[in-house]
Amino acid sequence: MAEENVIELKGVEKTFRDFWMRPVAEAVRGLDLEVARGDVFGLIGPNGSGKSTTIKMILGLIRPTKGTVRLFGLDPRAKAARARLGYLPELSHLHSFLTAEETVLYYAGLSGMKRTEARRRMLGLLEELKLAHVRRRTVGGFSKGMARRVAIAAALVSSPELLILDEPTSGLDPIGTREVKELIARLAAGGMTVLLTSHQLFDVQDICNRVAVISEGRKVGGGVVADIVASAQDKRHALEEYFEARLNLQKGGA
Amino acid sequence: MRRFTAIARTAAIETMSQPLSAILFPVAVLAIHILPAFQYHRFGAAGRLARETGLSSLFVFGLFFAVPAVVRGIGRELETGTAAAALALGVSRSLYFLARLTGTFAVFLLFLFAVAAATALSSFSCLKASAIVSQAGVVRVWGPAILVGVAGSLAPFGVAALLNRFANRRFCLWTCLLTVLFQLPGLALLEDASPLRVMAPALSALAAACLVYVAMAGALATRLKSNGVTACVVAAVLAGFLSPVKFLAPDMRVFWLEEGSTSAGGPIVAGVALVALWLLIGGISMERKELE
Repeated sequence: MAEENVIELKGVEKTFRDFWMRPVAEAVRGLDLEVARGDVFGLIGPNGSGKSTTIKMILGLIRPTKGTVRLFGLDPRAKAARARLGYLPELSHLHSFLTAEETVLYYAGLSGMKRTEARRRMLGLLEELKLAHVRRRTVGGFSKGMARRVAIAAALVSSPELLILDEPTSGLDPIGTREVKELIARLAAGGMTVLLTSHQLFDVQDICNRVAVISEGRKVGGGVVADIVASAQDKRHALEEYFEARLNLQKGGA
Repeated sequence: MRRFTAIARTAAIETMSQPLSAILFPVAVLAIHILPAFQYHRFGAAGRLARETGLSSLFVFGLFFAVPAVVRGIGRELETGTAAAALALGVSRSLYFLARLTGTFAVFLLFLFAVAAATALSSFSCLKASAIVSQAGVVRVWGPAILVGVAGSLAPFGVAALLNRFANRRFCLWTCLLTVLFQLPGLALLEDASPLRVMAPALSALAAACLVYVAMAGALATRLKSNGVTACVVAAVLAGFLSPVKFLAPDMRVFWLEEGSTSAGGPIVAGVALVALWLLIGGISMERKELE
């Protein structure tokens, strides 16, 4: 039986235009991508390669210029599709005047959760992310790492089927990073599909089972992480080597 | 409905948590009590002067906290990605826009209540003071009203500070809420509802005009940066005062004059229609916006 694809992109292109409709940047060019149910999928690429644009198209925040994007087999703008996902943006701009618990409850409210269920889930998540002792403090006074963990709790509060994480470990210290990686591993073990972007290739190698390398808006490589590691000479730096090799190949071919 | 409530509630908390709101709520009330008390001795028409001070305070202070709150709320959330995190969860864009504006509108209505109560007490106090002048032949203010009015605008700071210190409550938010709450004793001093009845049409018409500018700011914030929105709203206000703008912004020449708006059915209907128009424009703009 074929695996169900949670995310499917076919021939997707995105060209940003200025006020006069002149093309300013071709952010994504003919991208094909499939994320199957249960995958922990890493989208990696250098800065400006089109990762965030791709994620925003998957989230229905921007429309592709060409091609199709399907989320749970539906248009990404369909409410039914987006109600099943959790999203952690690259920069956690939380409401600085809300406390940690109010922030998580706010996102629970946006997901349409009942208050008692939201409260139970919020307390569990803040405990799991080691924020229980600061839950009544406003997030405006939090360190970057603590704010990041609040944002992760907010993304998880609705128990989504698909979790999209844009740079999940950004701003976290090594212990925080390890804890988030363990959390993602636990979520994946529980059957959640995860799509993440990161520049920390060690982390991606540790937690993802599949990756795609994109550069200048094109997919230039990808596959099963275990296969990439198995074929590498330096197992510890396998994904880093693979990443560099794919980018060099693209530059050589260009 | 849960989504709408969550967004509107957060927008209301955000608006009242701004230091600007915590200053403008009590300062507006204080101005309404103090200014007529100083001026009526020289210009006469005490009750009217108090009412016009109330209208001015509603318009100027109301716009000063509500417009920036909407621009910051909608514009900055779109710029920084906070809105994207909410919209990615399946919240409809037009619902998001309407809920955010509803939150700010709700705070504006609280402000309107505080201003209306303070203006009623102030105009009643001026009439009382006039009576004292005619009886005693000396200039005196009516003590109870000034006491209640000044206490009602200064005490919120102290009580909010205590709540912040001992119960960890938000200082700015509670200053705003207590300013509204502390106007109730002032209402109890009124002998009848006539001060409220006299100014109700003018106050409603002017409140409708303010809400038009707030809705306009919200709609423009979906497309323009904060400076651009502020410039457009200021231009619309000036245009409203200088020339008869009827289609997108209120004709402020009608709204402003107490006489012109004592039978304010027309301006209120026009205001409500313009609010609806700007909400529609903002909703469509949000639906079509690409959140880059």
